Order: sequence, then C-alpha cells, then structure tokens
Amino acid sequence: MAETILTVRDLSTHFFTREGVVHAVDGVSFEVEKGKTLGIVGESGCGKTVTALSIMGLIPKPPAKIVEGEILFRGRDIANLSERELEDVRGEQIAMIFQDPMTSLNPTLTIETQIVETIRRHSELSKEAARKRALELLEEVHIPNAAKRLEDYPHRLSGGMRQRVMIAIAISCEPELLIADEPTTALDVTVQAQVLDLLDELRETHGTAMILITHDMGVVAEASDDVVVMYAGQVVEQAAVTEIFDNPEHPYTEALLGALPQLEGEGVRQRRLTAIPGRPPDLVDPPQTCRFAPRCKYAGGDSCTSRMPELREIRPGHFVRSEHPASERARTGEAIHA
Amino acid sequence: MSTPTPKPVTSGATIPLDVGHAPTAGAPIRQSNLWKDAWYRYRRNRAALFAGAVFIGMVAFCLIYPVISPHDPYDVNFADARQGPSLEHPLGTDTFGRDVLTRTALGGRISIGIGFAATFIILVIGVTYGSISGFIGGHLDNGMMRFLDALYGLPYLPFAIITLAIIGDAGFWAMAVALSIATWFTTARIVRGQIITLKENDYVRAAKTLGARWQRVLMRHLIPNTLGILIIAVFLELPGVILGEAFLSFIGLGIGPPDASWGSMAQEGYEVYRVFPLLIIVPSVAIATLILCANFIADGLRDALDPRTRET
Amino acid sequence: MTGFVIRRLLWTIPVILLVIFFTFVLMRQIEGNPFRTSERAVPESIQRNLERRFGLDQPWYVQYAKYVQGVFTFDLGPSLVLRNRDVNEIVRTHFPPSLQLGAFAMIFALVFGIPLGMLSALRANTFLDYSAMFVSNVGFAIPSFLISTLLIYFFALKWGDWTGLPTSGWDSWQSKILPTIALGLGPMAYFARLVRGTMLETLQQDYIRTARAKGLRWRRVVIVHTLRNSLIPVVTAAGPILGFLITGSFIVEQIFAIPGIGTYYVDAVEARDYSVVMGLTVLLSVIVILANMVVDILYGYLDPRTRDARS
Repeated sequence: MAETILTVRDLSTHFFTREGVVHAVDGVSFEVEKGKTLGIVGESGCGKTVTALSIMGLIPKPPAKIVEGEILFRGRDIANLSERELEDVRGEQIAMIFQDPMTSLNPTLTIETQIVETIRRHSELSKEAARKRALELLEEVHIPNAAKRLEDYPHRLSGGMRQRVMIAIAISCEPELLIADEPTTALDVTVQAQVLDLLDELRETHGTAMILITHDMGVVAEASDDVVVMYAGQVVEQAAVTEIFDNPEHPYTEALLGALPQLEGEGVRQRRLTAIPGRPPDLVDPPQTCRFAPRCKYAGGDSCTSRMPELREIRPGHFVRSEHPASERARTGEAIHA
Repeated sequence: MSTPTPKPVTSGATIPLDVGHAPTAGAPIRQSNLWKDAWYRYRRNRAALFAGAVFIGMVAFCLIYPVISPHDPYDVNFADARQGPSLEHPLGTDTFGRDVLTRTALGGRISIGIGFAATFIILVIGVTYGSISGFIGGHLDNGMMRFLDALYGLPYLPFAIITLAIIGDAGFWAMAVALSIATWFTTARIVRGQIITLKENDYVRAAKTLGARWQRVLMRHLIPNTLGILIIAVFLELPGVILGEAFLSFIGLGIGPPDASWGSMAQEGYEVYRVFPLLIIVPSVAIATLILCANFIADGLRDALDPRTRET
Repeated sequence: MTGFVIRRLLWTIPVILLVIFFTFVLMRQIEGNPFRTSERAVPESIQRNLERRFGLDQPWYVQYAKYVQGVFTFDLGPSLVLRNRDVNEIVRTHFPPSLQLGAFAMIFALVFGIPLGMLSALRANTFLDYSAMFVSNVGFAIPSFLISTLLIYFFALKWGDWTGLPTSGWDSWQSKILPTIALGLGPMAYFARLVRGTMLETLQQDYIRTARAKGLRWRRVVIVHTLRNSLIPVVTAAGPILGFLITGSFIVEQIFAIPGIGTYYVDAVEARDYSVVMGLTVLLSVIVILANMVVDILYGYLDPRTRDARS
C-alpha cells in the first residue's frame, strides 16, 4: 500500500541578499512514497537543489531562510527543527549524495574514517564492528578490493568509485529516504549507467525511498516512478513517469522532451533538436505572472500575463501549472502565437 | 546527454536548454575589459578603496609638505626642543627642536622611496628568475627551484646587514639593494607559477596550435595576466621592505643624521621615550599606517584581479 | 612516510653547504680586514703572524674547505677580534636566550593566534570578527620597536607597581613576559588572519557539506574536518616565521637588554670579525633550514596528497 514518507507542502525558501530577495523556491509541494523514486527535473537554477537542501536543513542560514511551508517526514515537521535535532535526522533517517564526487569527500581523511564516523555517529557500534560494516558496505556497492580501498585516500580513487563510496556512506545507516542531487552529472556516460543501476538495486534491497534530482530527461525516464518538473522555483508539472512521457502537458515539459535525441521513430533523421529561446527569469522579486510566458510558444492573451497560473489536476494524478496545457490546446486547436 | 550537437552560436538566436555557463569559459578577457573590470571590482571593496586613498595621500604629503612647510627640517633650535603638539608644530618638536611634522614628511620620502626602490629590484630579479624558470621548464626549472629552496635558508636581516657592510656606505640605493637581496624568492616563485599556469592554459595552447607566433602569445596573453600579479606582488613586498629599512635604521645601520628616515626618527625617539614618547610614536604610526594600507590594497587587488572569481 | 622524512633530511645537506658558501663569499667581499681596522695600528709582521695563525693567508678555497669541515664538526673557530674567545663559546652563552625568546614568542603566537582566527571564522562578519581582525591587522603592522617601548612604558613603568614586571633583562620568569609578547604579537596576528581565511574557505568546500549531511555533530565537523585542513597553511607559514623570530629578534633584544646574539652580530659585522659573523649566520641559516624541513615533514603528514606527489 502506498505509504507517504515525505510530504513537502508549500515550501518557499528565499535568499535575502543585498540585491534583493531571491525566490529560489516558491510554493513547492510534492510527496514521496516509501520505496519509490521521485525524479525532480529542471534546468540549472530552477530551485531543485535548494529544495533538496531545504529538506535537509543545509541551506546557508544567514542569507537563506525557509519562509513558508512544511516538510513532513513521517508526519513530523522538520522544517523548523533546531540544528541539533536536524543532526539526528541527517544521515540516519534522510541521507543525501551530491553532484561532484571529486570534491565531496575530505581529501585528508581515509575512506575508512569517513565511512566509520558516520556509522559510529548514529549507532553504538565499536570501532572494529564499524570497520567490518564499512567493508560490507563497500562490497555492497561493488567496489573491488574493498579492504585495500578502505585505507586509501580519496585522491587515489576514480570518480565513479568515489561516487560509490558516497553512496555507501549514505546508506550506511539505513535511511528511509535518500536524496541524490545530480549523482551522475559529473561522471562519464558508461559510469552513469552503472551508478543508476546501483541506486536502483539498493532501493530494491533496502526499500529506501529516493528523490533523484537531475536536468536530464533520459535519467528521469530510466530511474523514476514519479516526476516533478520545476521551473523558476515552482512546480510546473507533476505526474507518474509514464504519464509525463506519454502525455506531457506543460509547454516546458514538451520542450524538454523535444530536446532529447531520438534513435527511432519516423522522421528521426530529419528531426532537428529543438531548443528553447530565452533564459529563465531573474528570481529576485519575480513577477506574479506565469514565469515561463516569455519563452512559451503558446503564451498570449491576458491569462498568461496577468496572473499566476494555479497548479491544477488536469487528470487524476497529473498536475500542471499552465494556461495552455497540451490537452486543452488540442481541443481548442489553439494556434501558436508568435 | 541532453545538449544538442553544437552549431555555431549566432548571438541571440537559439540558445540550448542548459544554459549554465557563458560560452568560451576560460578565455582570457580582452585587454580593455580586464582593467576596467578590475577597477570596478576594486572600487566595490570599501576598505581597499579607503586604504588606497590614504596611501596616495601619504605619498603626496611626503612629497609636497617639506616644500610648503614653514619650518626648516634641519634647523636645530634647542630652545624649542621636545614640545608637544601645538598650532605651530602640529606634531610637536624633537630633541633638536626640529618640527616633527616636516621631518616625518621628509623621512617618509626616504622610507617610502627606499621601499619602492627595493621592491623594484625585487621585481626585476624575481621576474627574470621566475620567467626563465617557468618559461623554459624542464630540468632547468627543477634546478632553479631547488636552488631557490636553498636560498630560502638565508636569514633576511643578517644578510641585509652583511650586504650593507659590503657596499660600504648606507645610502639610498645601498639600502634598497641590501633589503632586496634576501627576499626576492617569493616573487620569483609567484611569477614562475603564473607563467606555468598560463603556459598550460588551454586557450594559449589552442592559439599556439593555430600557429600564433610565440611573441604574439606573449604579448596578448602572458603579459597582461602577469602584470596583475606583479602589481599585487609590489604591495605584498612593500611592508616587509619598509619594516626592514626601519629596523636597520633603528639599530643604527641605515640612514644617518642629519637625514631622516622613519626608522632613524624612531631611534632618536627611542632614546627619550621614557619622558617623551611622542617621538617614537609618530614615525612608528606612520610606518604602521603605510603597512596596513599596503596590506588592504594588496587584498583588494587580489580580489579584483583574481581570474577565478571574474565573471565572464 | 619514513622514506619521505629521510629524503627531506638528506636534502638539507647541500642546502647548508650552499649557505655556507654564500656567507663565505659575501664576507670576503667586505672591505677591510679584522686586524687592520682596529684602532691601534698593528705592525706588518705581527699582522702577518696573526693572519697565519688564523689561517687567513691561505687561498680562499682552502679556507672554505677548512671551514666546512669545521661546521660539520661543530667547530666554528675562534673569534678574530675578541681575544681568547671562540665562536662556539659565544654561541653557547648567548644563543640560548635568543632561542628561548624565539620559541616562547612562537608558542605565544600559536596559542593565541589560532583560536582567535578560528573564532573569527566561525563568527564571521560579526562585531567579534571585525574587532579581532582589526586588532590583528594593527598588531601586525606596528613595528616591534614601538610595541616593545609601549609595553615597557605602560606595563613596566607606569603600572609597574602592580604588575611587578621589570623593564629589562632575561632572568626571572616575569622578565620574559613582555619581550615574548612584543616579539610574538606580529606572528600572532599573522596566524589569526591566516587561520580565519583558510577556515572560511574550507567551510565553503563541498566535503564540509557532505560531513554535515551525514549528520555529524558540528563540533566534529569543525575540529576534524575543517580545522585540520585549515592548519596546513599555518604549518607552512610557521617555518619562515620561526626563522623570522630568531633572526629578527635583534631589536627586541636590544630594547629589553636581553643578552642574546643580536647585539653581537651587529658589532661583529662592524669589526669585520669574520668568524663570528660567519658562525652566527651559518647557525641562523641552519636553524631556518631545519625549521623549513620540519614544516615540510609536518605538511606531508597533514596533507597526504603531497606524499605521493613528492615520490
């Protein structure tokens, strides 16, 4: 039975800088179910990483602040926990891995230290027991010659291996939720596939729920169960992965899919890769109108430029924030505006 | 995986989806932008700006004041000796009745002058050594750097003292040379590091493969970027040299009477500090202020010129 | 690791030889001769005798070779000017105070500078940070002769009755306080600024974010992850600073009337007392070189990446 493990409701995280208030995340809501993977996709700067960091409480507190919203983990609101309480949640209940494995490990500590300290922080294991567990973890993430690797320093390992170590650290305390922020972006293509497979395998074995953040629709297609599309700090579309790919509604999602290289299908040789003109809006005091309108092919008329479209359920389980979702366009035969 | 095959980017037309960074990241900025850009960034750092103003103010003061001052700095007048600050003598008089403000300005000329002269020598030696080592590379570079490591073992002040003794007198240029001899190593290192970084810069390599002559490479890329480093090096070395001059003069090995440098003024002040501390405070504060300014300026310059934090 | 240490040790030998050579060459350039510059005009024959006695009539390379041999057997030769005193003995009596002063100043600088820097970094951009950095900057820029005299003026003269601190000398433990502070204030400020800078930079690093994401206690993140990496530049700076402390203590020694080698040095140069000058310079150089070597080794220990790079 679908059990919701994380509920994010109306989350808004703003950065208070000298140049103004940056609305990095504005009214974002979604849920993650136990054992399932939620993919959050969008281009750089859309707020997906800040969302993840807000969940973990890792946003830099002086300029940034969660101004609104709730983050319910297992029913408990963790958005306003003290730092000490958050330290108990992190690593043990919610774990996170980051984009760049080259810089995410401390270069002056051995692999063993970095795994063992996590284990011993959240459990009563002795040093030897923790070391044994570390060894098991490395083997579980398919690192060859694990015993030797434990004594190594990060600079001796390749990028792919370091990412595996990061994953090992993340699952070491059996968290219920794992957040992976662009885990494959900095890796070679072949290694990417391996890491995704590994994450999938672990999810099956441990029943961990996952949030997978990426800008790559291909990764989304492969690894997620549900998808949230973000743009300029907001959720613009949300549905199960098959729904999103079969019936994309938001013009932005369509464009994202159009930018995917295709290997089969008719007219594939003649098809040009489409790109979206323009750039995302400046998030300092953003307008309260549709933020995608300046780049949207279908934008026009009052509705797009006078108010902020609501996130509405256009089909069961499929939400979209647009005045011109695909299914409505098809029905009214809307023409493309300039 | 999601970026389309690159086509020549005609400005404005179609921009690929993931616009994370500007195109041609890493290319050195065209010269006119470099300096304007740097100046703009420097201006934003208020401390550095203030320090720069104070520094220029002090230099100007030292150059101009002795000319316009109503007092003769060499005029000995025991009747007026050791007076506190007054309207006529804003900083009082010294043990010989001479106006302290004027002597400070005069001393400043010498101290700052020696400072710049020594720094200049340091730059000349350091740049030469570092460029040769960095540009040629290989075994020569290795050897030269090892040699440099050895030179680091030379203690600064003692060698300055020995050098002064060799030269014989303790005039302006003697001091400048003595103070630069045992301290140019860091500059050489920095320059070498910069040359090596630039040599291996992808853009430079690309230019060379495209057949650009090495002179052109030197002029358009290596030199403008190194100039920035050199300017910073000036303000990094200046404090050490000025302090060095002060120390040498203080122990009596530097500039002697009747000329003044801040160090020798401090020495005169030292002799009477128990009864009249002002005389040692004034030149010391002058030295300290100059050093502080140089530090802030160096910091400001470093932030302004640092290529890593430059936005394209 | 041991291989690294041994290799480093071996490297110091050619460096020391080079330093001796330089000092030797430079000294020989100085015009004048210890015997001819003394006030009483020394008759030719006696002069030649003296020269022969001190080996000054030999060709320079022989003198050099003999000297090197002397250095490695710890025999720095007799003083050329002061009768019946040899350099070794001068060193033995006068070097310890200088060494002590330098060591105390270094300890002072580290003990007060590092925590100050840390505190500033952790409370960056607050009043505490700004005032600490202001004091540091000032302490660094003010020449030691002013600091020394001000310290004496206030703590030993004006308030001398309370503090019980003497104005000079190097015997009682009280007498050692002011000179240590005077000499150590500059380096302390330098370390504070350095630590603050590196800590701030380290705190921005991705691996600190990872450490926090693992749920580690903030104290551990600061001490084990941040501080260790931040100390590396401090260690690098410590070598030259130690060198500076020992060789630059001349002024503090003079002002506080500490019987160290500073005064001897200046006098010896004026008197063209070759052996004293050379002996002291070589000694100072050796110390600086050894300090740098220790620093290098410590650096290799703290940052494992360099160990592999060097081999």
